[in-house]
Amino acid sequence: MSETWMIAGGWMAAGLTIFLFSFLYRDNPFFKAAEHLYLGAGMGWWFQVYLFNIWKPKVWEPLLSGDFFVLIPAVLGLSLVTQFIPRISWISRYGFTFMMGYGAGLAIPATLSTDFMSQIAGAIQPFTALATMTPMMIFNSLVVAGGTICVLFYFFFSVEHKGAVKKISNIGIYFLMIYFGAAFGNTVMARFSLLYGRFDDLYTFSGANYFYASQILLIALVAYFILHSFLGGKKTEEEEPAH
Amino acid sequence: MTKNKIKALIILLLTAGPVLAVAGGKAAPGTIDGFTAVDMPYDAGASVLLKWPVGPSDSADASYVVYGSSLAEGGWRKGEEFVATAKTCKDINLPFWAWDSGEAQHALKVELNTLFGDIPPGTPLKFKAQLLRKGSVEAESPAVDAASKSNWFRLDRLNNLLFLLVMIVIFFWAVSHAKRKGLFIRRIAGLDAIDEAIGRATEMGKPIFYVPGIGTMSSISTIASAFILGEVSKKVAQYDSDIKIPHYDPIVMTVCKEIVKQSYLEAGRPDSYREDMNFFVSADQFSYAASVDGMISREKPAACFFMGYFMAESLLLAEVGAASGAIQIAGTDIESQLPFFFTACDYTLIGEELYAAGAYLSKEPMLVSALKVQDFGKLVVMASVSLGIVLVSLGTKLHWDFFVRVILNLFKAY
Repeated sequence: MSETWMIAGGWMAAGLTIFLFSFLYRDNPFFKAAEHLYLGAGMGWWFQVYLFNIWKPKVWEPLLSGDFFVLIPAVLGLSLVTQFIPRISWISRYGFTFMMGYGAGLAIPATLSTDFMSQIAGAIQPFTALATMTPMMIFNSLVVAGGTICVLFYFFFSVEHKGAVKKISNIGIYFLMIYFGAAFGNTVMARFSLLYGRFDDLYTFSGANYFYASQILLIALVAYFILHSFLGGKKTEEEEPAH
Repeated sequence: MTKNKIKALIILLLTAGPVLAVAGGKAAPGTIDGFTAVDMPYDAGASVLLKWPVGPSDSADASYVVYGSSLAEGGWRKGEEFVATAKTCKDINLPFWAWDSGEAQHALKVELNTLFGDIPPGTPLKFKAQLLRKGSVEAESPAVDAASKSNWFRLDRLNNLLFLLVMIVIFFWAVSHAKRKGLFIRRIAGLDAIDEAIGRATEMGKPIFYVPGIGTMSSISTIASAFILGEVSKKVAQYDSDIKIPHYDPIVMTVCKEIVKQSYLEAGRPDSYREDMNFFVSADQFSYAASVDGMISREKPAACFFMGYFMAESLLLAEVGAASGAIQIAGTDIESQLPFFFTACDYTLIGEELYAAGAYLSKEPMLVSALKVQDFGKLVVMASVSLGIVLVSLGTKLHWDFFVRVILNLFKAY
């Protein structure tokens, strides 16, 4: 790739990143442009993925090699498109029915195994090593089993939650909240690593070899916001308060 | 004379040969009797089961080595090597109703893909085993033929099947009961706010955004979301408010179109229904999020519903909705995204509450029955965990090994 294209790519990446971040301040035409570009690029990307990763290797090439069995799923898939023609849209029911059928067939045994059997076996399995367990390990296993039961009580819809049931389900909520807190922290950490990635790119594109793309674009955007607010943009915003 | 000399030489060789071999430590190896190789039961044809009796010479200082050969390639491939006291039928991980786990026989499951690479079921194979002691072969089995095959029925998963059958019976009982007498479902906090949210939108003359997430129609949360959408859109039709449903998946969009149309019909307002209430945005996760964010921030809806399957876009959507001042009700079964909805939304349906919401709102016998079956499942889990811990602890303490194994096998997942 030539240097000119590298620099152009850097400006494009820095510009789109800054335009999307500008939404944190307020909606603006630059964000809209980046949003629509992202939408279009996303659609284009998935179109070529479907075309070259699914249609070509799984339908077109088997047909050319004489494997006509692929016509069955292909026709079922195409039947979904008949939704767009009201007169024959009933054909799509065959495709939908097949999808729902195999989806349920795959999901039900797996769910039963993972949501029921594994839960029970996982809770009682540690107690098979009772002779070698330390008091702390026993306590830990009891907390896990007790937590499972309390959380299940919270999600029990057949009885009104009052009295003892309410107390048990409240303990379940504490277990849930501890989990959610841990999950929140974990996910936020992961998101920060994505943010650092964008900042790292902006830093890279702020170098002289990219003609200070990040700084120039950032200054230009700030200048736009200042000018826009002086030229009546703020008034328009005030006329349409959020609530 | 010469004949006599030759005879004497032959006799000498025949008698002295074995004596010399023993003296040199190279005795002919013994035979491992009863060595068999059969198809591994209850699998898809990817393994073979080798069995032979435990012998008196099996001790910790000896080891067994198994060899396999495919007729196509020829030659022997070395398989697993293990201490001669290990690998009995007890070590095969199959439940008691499908497998005799005595310790009288050695049993070894040979994964064919590991030993031979990618070979189809039914390929003719040969197997043999050797008993090694101090580096020399003490005994060897004859080579036996074997071929794996795909099995139709997994007897080892019988417990799962029986449990499923019990669930099905309870489901049909619950459907019949719900149709005759109705079934009780406790109040779900958050759902009462739906009326409030729709009323607010009507008063303010602003639209409602219903975001069904990025799941496909095979996702349970998306199916639950579709049921809730039916009830929400019915109320929207009654209040003559406006609802917008941006979609990520075209099939979900098609289903939702039918649901909303039906709801408007049931509410007696078919004239108010518009085809563009449901619209496709993008099948790319973050393009979808960016676009819906843009719409919410520009149109400033009075209420946002985020119900269904959500991943990383959950906070992106809910945060923009909160910033625009909308009342927000969310629900998903993706545990990692629930904390974000807690922080940014007014009401959040946690996991199974989302499934229950559809039943609670519609009172549809089929949905209510499904919920009852789930409750039964939870009851089974709670009772089994409590009782299982007591029984397993007792069995372990009293060394009732088979009893403990029975309990663990009853709840064996796959």
